[in-house]
Amino acid sequence: MKINARIAYTGALFLVVLCGAGLMKPTPRTLKVPEGWPAPNKNLFSKNPLTEEGFQLGRKLFHDGNLSKDGYVSCASCHQQFAGFSTFDHDVSHGVNNTFTTRNAPTLANMAWHSAFHWDGGVNHIEVQAVSPITAHNEMGETLENVIAKLNADSSYPPLFKAAFGNETINSQRLLKALAQYTGSLVSANSKYDKVKRGEAIFSNVEQKGYEIFKAHCATCHKEPLFTDLTYRNNGLPLNRFNDVGRMAITGKKEDSLKFKVPTLRNIQVSYPYMHDGSIFSIPQVIDHYSGGIQKDQYTLDPVLKNGIAITQRQKYELMYFLFTLTDSTFLKDPAYGMPTY
Amino acid sequence: MKPCIASFGILLLVVLSVLNTTGQTHGTLKFTLIHTANGKPVELNTTTYNTPNGEEYTIKKLRYYFSNFKFPGNPTLEDADNYQLIDQARSTSFSIPVLPGKYTHIEWLLGIDSLRHCSGAQEGALDPMNDMFWTWNTGYVVFKLDGTSTSSTADRNRIEHHIGGFRFGQNVSTPLSFELPNDRPLEITAGKTTEITLHLNLDRYWKSKETILIARESVCTVPDALARKIASNFPYLFEIEDIKVHEN
Ligand code: HEC
Ligand code: HEC
Repeated sequence: MKINARIAYTGALFLVVLCGAGLMKPTPRTLKVPEGWPAPNKNLFSKNPLTEEGFQLGRKLFHDGNLSKDGYVSCASCHQQFAGFSTFDHDVSHGVNNTFTTRNAPTLANMAWHSAFHWDGGVNHIEVQAVSPITAHNEMGETLENVIAKLNADSSYPPLFKAAFGNETINSQRLLKALAQYTGSLVSANSKYDKVKRGEAIFSNVEQKGYEIFKAHCATCHKEPLFTDLTYRNNGLPLNRFNDVGRMAITGKKEDSLKFKVPTLRNIQVSYPYMHDGSIFSIPQVIDHYSGGIQKDQYTLDPVLKNGIAITQRQKYELMYFLFTLTDSTFLKDPAYGMPTY
Repeated sequence: MKPCIASFGILLLVVLSVLNTTGQTHGTLKFTLIHTANGKPVELNTTTYNTPNGEEYTIKKLRYYFSNFKFPGNPTLEDADNYQLIDQARSTSFSIPVLPGKYTHIEWLLGIDSLRHCSGAQEGALDPMNDMFWTWNTGYVVFKLDGTSTSSTADRNRIEHHIGGFRFGQNVSTPLSFELPNDRPLEITAGKTTEITLHLNLDRYWKSKETILIARESVCTVPDALARKIASNFPYLFEIEDIKVHEN
């Protein structure tokens, strides 16, 4: 494993250096679509052809604190790989200067299947998503102008931009496209659940029972294989201290009040706390919410949840053990997605 | 033999340079914008104006987009840069290449089409660095007017009009359409520049189809009903003041 990673790094470095020297065109990279999955969003890379060099540049940028005002906050500081690219153990995340975000950092797995981003779907393309964290005062607090100046001043970057885009020009468009190549390439599809589906493993009895409960009560919204149907719904949480009305802030429609994008449940075991504001800390508590905590007086509450979900104590644990089968340790540790060494 | 090659070379150069000037397949249409408020030219920060509704104000920022230039019934140049940011502080004129012809109808969008709003990271006029981009609800501010007014009840008497919105039911980008008399068409000649002087009269921003009161409507920074109300004055803002063909 270690040695493999080394070889991969050296290979990547070699490629990058070769291209820097202008000897090669960027190497096309393909997004691997797991068998049986729906087609990814075709607009994602339509004007941003995925290449090895573009991905590697995006990976370096994602882990670089220089994208923030104080030099410390990188994308990866809120989107931690071991937590499924969410913020481990924080209801909301830290930005520069001891600020806090008002929402929980979502996991970033299988973004290529999404067509709108953020909890309210307010961002309509993955390429423009990164403008938001870079410039928000409570995230990275920086301007695109400054980021570009800092990247130009760091001698490691111009050759990488050249390798990815043909010359050393660094502009906001290239920065955003490179980041999108990385975040759009994060695919999690090797959990125990996936192995069972591929016939490489079998569920335990408890997991199997949990799976049945899941299909009966949860899968309408947390639809397989992405474990989200990518719609906006109200699952009955109370209005929070930030008065976050979710989707309504984007559409201006009353009927969208308190609706949020259904989150994936892949790697849910490691991405706690949960919900758009991180208000629920553990999986048993999430299940308690569905069985007894739903705010039934909300007029936008999803009809599926009008009567809550009746679940016994025993079933609660079966469901939990099923959810644990969505943990993809290959993805969580894959060095190809990790902090680069170049 | 040698002089022969030399003279052939010179001939070739001459032919090439002639081709270069006459071989132009398109002419240039230059837009020059004149901004006025209350009869006076717009100057940022220093001058106080009155709206036709009797409210006084100063202007700090005045920026807007033009795009999708068309001559209805005629083909347009494919590679014409279709997106222009006009900014009182930086640039109030721009040029686009146009196929030669005599046009009696010109049309463009005050704003940006919805397709381009959904196409990811852009450059040039649409670079998100131009301070005309909303990050939380993807989209461009297509018309920005910032300033101050004693009538404003907002923090520090500010006027903050960031007019945008492209989604269904939220669109504020507005087609501007100008018909020209048949005997005085817009004439575009290959290799030459035709200049069109456009007058933006901010008085009409405050009062044309709708009356916009600073006391009531000093801040508009989301794509809501107020943005659409303000945008319903967009068709009345601009007038063609002059068209001139330059010999160049
Ligand atoms: C300070 C913490 C923080 C930083 C730094 C940060 N993010 Fe995020 N990220 C968040 C939060 C919080 C959200 C949810 C935002 C919302 O819903 O309004 C989010 C959402 C996202 C999403 C959308 C996920 C989805 O399911 O819709 C992507 C993609 C993303 N971030 C990528 C990035 C990239 C790339 C960077 C670096 C340029 C970055 N983030 C930096 C906290 C952060
Ligand atoms: C009606 C649709 C719907 C159903 C049914 C539903 N959920 Fe959810 N779920 C959502 C929505 C929407 C959210 C995000 C809510 C928010 O943050 O405001 C969510 C959030 C979650 C989260 C938090 C994920 C995260 O990353 O923060 C978990 C865990 C979860 N649901 C598990 C379940 C389980 C288990 C079931 C079945 C017992 C279930 N859900 C049934 C819509 C649904």
